[in-house]
Amino acid sequence: MNRYGPFSWILLILSSLVLLFLVAPLLGMFIHTGVKDFFITAGDKEVQASIWLTVWVSFAATFFFATAAVPFAWLLARKSFPLKSVVQGIIDLPVVLPHTAAGIALLGFISRDGLLGKAAAAVGFQLVNNPAGIALAMAFVSLPFLINSARDGFAAVPERLEKAALNLGASRSRVFFTISLPLAWRSIITGFVMMFARGMSEFGAVVIIAYHPMIAPVLIYDRFSSFGLNYARPAAVLFIVVALVVFTILRLLSESRKTAVTKNEYADS
Amino acid sequence: MLILKNISKKLGEFRLNDIGLEISDGTYYVLLGRSGSGKTQLLELIAGLTSPDSGEIWLNGENITNKKIQDRNIGLVFQDYAIFPNMTVFGNIAYSMNSGKNGKHRIKERVTSIAAELNISHLLGRNIHHLSGGELQRVALARTLITSPRLLLLDEPMASIDASLKDEIKRLLRRLNRQGLTIIHVTHDYREAVSLATRVGVIHSGKIIQEGDPETVFRKPVNKFVARYSGFRNFFRVKFINENSAWKALCNEKLIFNMSEKSYPHEGLLILRSDDIRISPENTSCPTDNCFKGIVREILPSEYGVEITVDAGETFYVDISADTFKQQPYNELSEVWISFPPEACIVLQGSN
Repeated sequence: MNRYGPFSWILLILSSLVLLFLVAPLLGMFIHTGVKDFFITAGDKEVQASIWLTVWVSFAATFFFATAAVPFAWLLARKSFPLKSVVQGIIDLPVVLPHTAAGIALLGFISRDGLLGKAAAAVGFQLVNNPAGIALAMAFVSLPFLINSARDGFAAVPERLEKAALNLGASRSRVFFTISLPLAWRSIITGFVMMFARGMSEFGAVVIIAYHPMIAPVLIYDRFSSFGLNYARPAAVLFIVVALVVFTILRLLSESRKTAVTKNEYADS
Repeated sequence: MLILKNISKKLGEFRLNDIGLEISDGTYYVLLGRSGSGKTQLLELIAGLTSPDSGEIWLNGENITNKKIQDRNIGLVFQDYAIFPNMTVFGNIAYSMNSGKNGKHRIKERVTSIAAELNISHLLGRNIHHLSGGELQRVALARTLITSPRLLLLDEPMASIDASLKDEIKRLLRRLNRQGLTIIHVTHDYREAVSLATRVGVIHSGKIIQEGDPETVFRKPVNKFVARYSGFRNFFRVKFINENSAWKALCNEKLIFNMSEKSYPHEGLLILRSDDIRISPENTSCPTDNCFKGIVREILPSEYGVEITVDAGETFYVDISADTFKQQPYNELSEVWISFPPEACIVLQGSN
């Protein structure tokens, strides 16, 4: 007897097509990249530098902004205030903006004529064409992922646990660090990984702020526009491999953390 | 002494309305009410988790209405205990002491001592994940008692534990109260009040509708709602008539109850406790008792034994113990006699 009806088959075919659409270009790129070319590119100092720059700048941007974004997410999860929905809309704005437009907007802010740019210049620091500028561009487009995920995490922490801690004499900050933060950790880590990943893959906003030093997406574009597809492909493959390794490690770390937290949670919370 | 003066608080559509209470030191106060009646909100106001819109809260001569929750020293045990899932039992109990003011040795000493008092020493190193309801409750109590609260607030403490553990918890709460701790315990179950309270309040729709010692509240409820909450199951709307200087109550022109008081209003609601009604296969009552012949309609096991529904023109609910039922079993549709003394008849005047 056939356990699957026509609808199940249609679902299966549609799902396979979507998966194929996602996998085929990547697979094609891997197949068309020769092993020799791949290793030559991997040994290329310029490529290595750009991948390293991408990884550390995105990580630094995520880490730096998380220190403010995570408490902000708690505020959004717990407090009601006037124009809260407007604030929520502003947070989501970078997701819907064309990223080159975001880059232009940010450039106006951090260039020598901009507010932040002027302040930086006053202390002899230039943000444009600098890793700091790249970090700002990455953070601008990727912050919503961290804030939204952390906010959902805090909202899922039963408020009565925080109330119980207050009742036991704990200060608001102690409640935040000992109850809210550890219990929302899973969502915060997920948001952190998402923001980091989004920052690493950013091209549009970064290329406006800093063509040099080149992050990996800019380098791939540069090689493609200067030398063509065959020259850009090994660098792209290498960057994808590095990104996959980094995300797998982060995922594994957050999964092990998730298991630990789940073990500690009781059914009702 | 805790004094609530005209406390009002609006919470969405719900409103705590002009609550006034005085609770002396050492009292075991049970606040009865159904869910949504405002009992938890009242506890949260006393604990300082929320502030009243108007009114004042005084504790031991001090106005604590606007005092910070951390400085009130009022312990609150939540209905689901609110045990911190990211800490061990030890971590939970020690939480209030872990703010840097106490040394490790002192913390360990206090936690060990309170855990021994509550019989949970063996749980200290455990993760809270696999604890039973009773164990979680003891942990929650230990975590609160370690702060030496001036007042202990309990939100439905028996709601999430097995019936077999309830007596044990009641003994523990009684002991704490005897040691001088003032306790406010909110519940929807009048039996908890019967076994624990030295004073009882009944709250309905954000207003305290009756308050007093348990005997008064349970024997003389002011209205049908309180009567229901006090365990009354038999309600009869009656008209009172005086025949030859003896008062009788007439119910639906069918039943006539002999009454014991010297005067009655024109009409009212007559209420009877199920366990005040005797049941027998034959008429064995004394002449002054109210005695009716009826038919057994339903026999159901109850917490105390057996509840027998008897149709004697009106429906009567009779509670008897399991032992009594064993000695004299009844069957559905069998003919029985029910009787109760006139003193068991309580009248609620003009109550709906």
